[in-house]
Amino acid sequence: MRNNEIQTPNLVWDRAGVFNRVDNDRELLLEILGLFKEDFPPALAALRSAVQSADLQASSALSHKLKGMLSNLGGVAAAAAASRLESFASAKDAHSLPDALAALERESQDLVHELDAYLVEVHG
Amino acid sequence: MNILIADDEALSRRLLEKTLERAGYDVVAVENGKQALEILTAQDAPRLALLDWVMPEVDGPSVCRAVRKRTDHTYIYMLLLTSKGSKEEIVRGLEAGADDYLTKPFDAEELRARLRVGERILLLEDRLVEARENMRFRATHDPLTSLLNRGAVLDLLGRELQRSRRENTSTAILLGDIDHFKLVNDTYGHIVGDEVLGEIANRLLNSVRSYDFVGRYGGEEFLVVLNSCDPNYGSSRAEEIRKSISITPIQTAKGSITVTMSFGILQTADWGPRSLEDLLHETDTALYEAKAAGRDCLRIARPATRQEVLAPVAPALLRHKR
Repeated sequence: MRNNEIQTPNLVWDRAGVFNRVDNDRELLLEILGLFKEDFPPALAALRSAVQSADLQASSALSHKLKGMLSNLGGVAAAAAASRLESFASAKDAHSLPDALAALERESQDLVHELDAYLVEVHG
Repeated sequence: MNILIADDEALSRRLLEKTLERAGYDVVAVENGKQALEILTAQDAPRLALLDWVMPEVDGPSVCRAVRKRTDHTYIYMLLLTSKGSKEEIVRGLEAGADDYLTKPFDAEELRARLRVGERILLLEDRLVEARENMRFRATHDPLTSLLNRGAVLDLLGRELQRSRRENTSTAILLGDIDHFKLVNDTYGHIVGDEVLGEIANRLLNSVRSYDFVGRYGGEEFLVVLNSCDPNYGSSRAEEIRKSISITPIQTAKGSITVTMSFGILQTADWGPRSLEDLLHETDTALYEAKAAGRDCLRIARPATRQEVLAPVAPALLRHKR
């Protein structure tokens, strides 16, 4: 199977998985959600800029970083989209980067919605 | 136990940090490979390290390679954190010196279990190092007195002679023998004889500087090497050593016993480029002279008053009847 044929999983937020990772510590989960809200937007903006300028090396490094961040947070679908973008960048397939970036932006947005909904649930 | 986490991504770093603190580790967290390398190659570095594969400046495998290059270091158990799941990449990480790897996102229970494996390996390594050090000590030390044994003290003396010739300094070789030691054994028994040997060893050690050597040369014979000393210092130190034995009686299980020692001393600067065997022979001859002069005294080996010995002396000829 070629990389660009990998199916993106549908799970937006693996809530059970991330709770398991934080040992059911809600305070810790809120802390890392705060870190995500802080770190993710500038990292995504930097990736966007790298893709627009067809900088393959930066695209690969930044998508790798986002993949790690998203997967630790249980953002399964967005992490898979970041992984796909990283594969394209590593394979020097600049042509596929814009579509892969668009997919990542969509999946990330869905994730952020779910996270925001969770925050409302917690804080009321 | 201390553990180092190196991960450039803050969220991942915080998750790992908290997970490991909960597991009872003292965590040091850094955000790149360069900082990790500085910590892991310093004194008292953590023995466990969790390294992200992809990091700015120096990546995880490069940190592993640099740590493994240092052979003078205690073993550090290193795990690579990776989202690179292919067999080739995992092999590359392990070949770089990592002990294990964990794929991202990590599972907390799996992480703790893998670290426990690391702790078991480190414990085993510590036991091996301890066993090796014990063997090394036994190979170079006398079991009764814990002084250097004959082979070890002669080896150190040989090196010291080379150094003193290179640096144009003098070394004092002092050979001492307990007077009438056979009488101590015959009168009080061998257990008391051993107590006497142990106490004499202590007094000799306490009479020299930290960089001098003391060894058990034979049954009741001791070799003291005073490094980098002028002739006056050597002779006066030798005389003080002699007094430290004779003035205070030795307390044993069968009461206090007064013991004396005779000494021969040689200053290497007086003898030119002579072999170690020659110098020991001359020192031994001076000791023999001290015995002949009534014991409990010191005699100095001086080339001017002695016929030069040009031919190497066979070890068997070095022994004199005490």
